[in-house]
Order: sequence, then C-alpha cells, then structure tokens
Amino acid sequence: MAAAPLLELKNLVVAYGGVEAIHGLSLSVAPGEIVTILGANGAGKSTTLMAISGLVRPKAGEIHFKGQRIDVLRSHEVVQLGVTQAPEGRRVFGPMTVEENLKLGAFTRRGQDLEPDLARVYELFPRLLERQKQMAGTLSGGEQQMLAIGRALMARPTLLLLDEPSLGLAPLLVKSIFATIKSINESGVTIILVEQNARAALKLANRGYVLDVGRLALEDRAERLLNNPQVRDAYLGAR
Amino acid sequence: MAHFVEQIIYGLTVGSVYALIALGYTMVYGVMKLINFAHGELFTLGAFVGFFFLVTLDWGGVFGPALAIGLTIVMVSGSTALAGHLLERVAYRPLRHSDRLAAVVSALGASIFLQNVIMVVWGAQYRAYSASLLPQVIWRVAGQSFPLIRLFVFLTAILVMAGLYLFINHTRLGLAIRAAAIDQGAAKLMGVDVRKVIAVVFIIGPALGGLAGLLVGVYYGQINFNMGQLYGLKAFTAAVIGGIGNIPGAMVGGLLLGLLETLGDAYVSGAWKDAIAFVALILILVFRPTGILRERVAEKL
Repeated sequence: MAAAPLLELKNLVVAYGGVEAIHGLSLSVAPGEIVTILGANGAGKSTTLMAISGLVRPKAGEIHFKGQRIDVLRSHEVVQLGVTQAPEGRRVFGPMTVEENLKLGAFTRRGQDLEPDLARVYELFPRLLERQKQMAGTLSGGEQQMLAIGRALMARPTLLLLDEPSLGLAPLLVKSIFATIKSINESGVTIILVEQNARAALKLANRGYVLDVGRLALEDRAERLLNNPQVRDAYLGAR
Repeated sequence: MAHFVEQIIYGLTVGSVYALIALGYTMVYGVMKLINFAHGELFTLGAFVGFFFLVTLDWGGVFGPALAIGLTIVMVSGSTALAGHLLERVAYRPLRHSDRLAAVVSALGASIFLQNVIMVVWGAQYRAYSASLLPQVIWRVAGQSFPLIRLFVFLTAILVMAGLYLFINHTRLGLAIRAAAIDQGAAKLMGVDVRKVIAVVFIIGPALGGLAGLLVGVYYGQINFNMGQLYGLKAFTAAVIGGIGNIPGAMVGGLLLGLLETLGDAYVSGAWKDAIAFVALILILVFRPTGILRERVAEKL
C-alpha cells in the first residue's frame, strides 16, 4: 500500500430518495490489487459500485480515481477514464448478438481496431466464440456472466468492477470464472469483486472490506479475514 | 374484388404515413418509457411548415415541383426536428428525475400548447395545399389505377424508413440508441451518453413525424390545426400493434393498420374505418400486449 491508491472513497454517503444506503464509507484500492467487498444483502455493496460508475450520485463524500475526482463526472466519462463494470444480474443486451454486446463494451473506443480485444475475450471465454452470432438473451446464465465480464473488458479498463459474478452459477462454473478473474488481474487489471460467495472471493483477493448495513465493519488482508472468527460466523458458514 | 390491388396500394400509402409517425412514438418510448403526447402536434406542425413553403411562398412555382418538394422536405424535417429538440429541453429534460406522471402531464400540456400555437399562427379553418404541385398522372395497369401522388407518398416514406433502419442497425449512434432502449443503466455502464441518445431520438422522431405531416398535406390537399389528434392516435395504435419500443414493429404496425383500415373501408363500411383501427388496438392490448413483433428472445435470468 505504499503506492498511491488507484481508487479512493472518502466518507461516501449515498441515499436513494431520502433513505441512506451508505453512511460514510472510506476505502482504497492500490494498482494491481484484487479487493473484495463482502456483506449481507442490503449492506450497500452494489450501491458502492454504482456510485463509482457514476450511476448514482453520492449525497456526500468523494471518489478519486488516479488522483482525479470522479464522483462529479457522468457515467460515460467514468468509463472513458478506464473504470468498467459487469453489473449484478449481468444485464447483457438480450435482443442483441454476443458480438454486438462486446462491441458495445468498446463503445468509448471510437474508431479503434477491436479485433485484438475480441480475440482476447474469445480466448478467455471460448464459449462466447461458439455463440458469437447468437442473441445474448438465449445464453445460459453462466455464458451471460462470461459475456458481461468480456463486455466490460472491451473498453480496456484499468479498474474492473465485478458485482456478484458467481450468482446462480453451478460450483464448477464458479471455479472457472474465478480462475479467469485471476488471469484478468494478472494481465494488469485492478479488480473490485463484490461477492456473496465470501470464501471463494477471499481466496482470490488480496484484501477485503466487510460492509454491514452501509457501514464498514471490517477491513483486512484476505487471508486474515478468512481466519477471522467474526467473518467465519457471519459470512463463511460453519465448517 | 375489382379494385383489390388498388386498395392494397392505398392501404400501404396510408399505412406508410402511420408508420412514419409511429416511429417517433416508439423511439421516444423505447429510450424514455414515455409517450410523447405532443408528437401528433409535431406532425401537424410539419404539415403547416410545408404549407408555408409550398403555398405561402409558392416554392412549387419558384423552383418547379421536384426541387420544391425536395427543399420543402428538408425545411419541414429541419424545423420539426428543432421543435422536437426544444420540446425535450423545455418539457421533458427538467423532469427526468421526477415522477413518471409529471412527465406525462407535461407531455399533455406541451400537446395542448403546440396545438394552440399552430391555431393562433395559421387559424382554425382548413388550409389547402395547391392541387397542381404534382402532375395529376394516373397509370392504369390491368384495370387498376395507380396515381403518381400515391406512389410518391409511399416511396418517400419507405425510403426514409429504410434509411432509418440502416442508421439504427449500422451506425455507432444507432447501436447506442438500441442499447439505451433495452437497458438504460447497462448502456451507461458501456459508456453511452444516454442524455445525448435522448436528445437524438427527440430530433429524429419529430423529423419523421413532420415529414409525415407534409406528405398528408400533399396527398389529401387540406390540413387543419387539430389533424394531429386523430393521426397521432392512429400512429400510436400502430406503434402498439407492432410492439411499442420496437422500431421494425412500428413500421410493420403502421403498414398493417393502413391496410386494415382501407380494406375495412372498402369491403365493410366507411363509417367503421376509425372503429376498426381502435378495435385492433383493443384486441392487441388484450391478447398480445407486447405487440405482434414481440422480442424474439425471452430474457433469461
């Protein structure tokens, strides 16, 4: 953590129509890290990611990316700076083909050659190559998740936000998606991973933050959180 | 069935006008989930701007019919596009974060306002386009007659729609419009500037609607300040028949409604023409509320 943080949240407060979802959250992410955000439903994990992406405007606090304040920017400007997201529920464009979805992921890269990026995504997820011309809405849940992640890579992000990539997937598929996330990180992309599957996320991540109804409950190195009795009881289940 | 082919052509002509107007409803609905109730008035505005150039300024006499029509199409689409853009800025954009109902009320208000502006400027009486603008040519093939003006209206509408189809499916901006119509939030996450997309559909939709107004003026020869109400309602019906929010659906729905009305008029009863259109609307809403071209793929969760 000696390096300047890539992303920094300072006392972030987010409210939906008067109801506060996040009450003063501070966290930071160093370049190259995988940071996981854990917590129960309604803890404010997705809200945090949506605030970073500029889809909800914070009520108070600041978000800095590469030293620049981004909470005042509009969502497309945040993408242009290199922050992309594979959102909760995948939200692929169902009536469009797999390839159109991927091209939309590169929407901010006007006029650039996308072939190398498409090739890279198809290499990471060979299933998508098979389904290239198929409507995204006809894909299985796992394939849609691959598409959502692949799509988020097309903009060549510096920081990738992944919201519940394992949700609703078979255990074997979860394993393979997590392996892919690791290799994406090794290629130089910093990752924030929001997960309900706390054990898998902590095994993958360098550090973790635990949220509890919109507040930071714990923050530590991932392996220490894995052995933390509080975390074990609340999020990892008895073992 | 002596004039069956004639009736089909007539139905397609009327239908292509409905389709042009319906596209404006469906594009705006697609991106904003809002029925632009003022759209019928932008259609009327197009008819009157066309009247201004073709009759008041007599461009037909100045430039000759072909050039006059070409220039008028540009002026009409340009001015209704501008009006649509202003409408969005003034009546809708400030309400983007408000209750859905507020935008609906604002749309209704804008509709009444525009209609009255048109009435104040051009009067409440019917206004006539000159009948001599296009040569009164009627081709006769195998006992069926094909008036030039009918083909002109139909082909103009079809050409413009083909252009729109290419734009939507093969340009970057078209891709952004489709994405924003499917999932506005996801489109934002892709880096689409949704505010710009909304501005663009409020330029293209009104331009198409205004052009439809011009075509109706040229075709029927007379226009009136409240003509947009019935046409707007019919075109909205066409958009719902095709599946509101669905661009090819609006085209198909418009043509279908035109055919249905015309054939009903010819073979059932002229008095029932409008009733047929709205019975079609009710049947679609009851039995297939997502329209005949409902999304081909079901969203998997």
